[in-house]
Amino acid sequence: MDFRPLNTLERRQLVDALRGNAESDRAILMDRQDTSFVGVVDEIPDEEVISAIKSVPCHY
Amino acid sequence: MGLLDSEAGKKRLLSIEIPIIERYNLDRDKDYQVKVQRVGGGLVLRYRLKPCHNVYELETRLTSAYPTVPPETRVLTPLKHCPHLLEGQTLCLWRQGSTRAASRWDPAKYTCIFALQAAWRWLACYEVWHETGDWPLPDAR
Repeated sequence: MDFRPLNTLERRQLVDALRGNAESDRAILMDRQDTSFVGVVDEIPDEEVISAIKSVPCHY
Repeated sequence: MGLLDSEAGKKRLLSIEIPIIERYNLDRDKDYQVKVQRVGGGLVLRYRLKPCHNVYELETRLTSAYPTVPPETRVLTPLKHCPHLLEGQTLCLWRQGSTRAASRWDPAKYTCIFALQAAWRWLACYEVWHETGDWPLPDAR
């Protein structure tokens, strides 16, 4: 795979989203069509439940 | 409980897992839909995730002991060796010790799509690590 890196702004947004998800229970939204990162939300609309990644109690 | 050969396992599949996979696939581009295949006494889910610019192929195995035993997810796309990656490119997601009590997987709360979402988050962390050398989230305590 030819890895395409994130630019600085994209990386900052993604890190903020991951930390907000882990520390503040903010849900990460992934795109309904292709699963790409869309943003974060505090309240999940019903129609987005399946595409909203809630805080996951993973090992890492 | 066998996932495919017990009443409880079949009920779990038909009432919880299959409907949520169908819901996940609804409106999803065909390339990103979850495909389900029977393997032995369990199921294998194959799918793609694209947290950022890169597309990853994954599979999540629901063994015959699922959901008591958590699903196992591995990335088929070659990765650089990184933290939280086990042999065979299996993602270290649920295990915190070797006992069921210490596992972070809760079969009463989670489904196979929850496992897929956990894999998405892992891949997002991987994309950051790939560039910075730092895993963006601390180990869970």
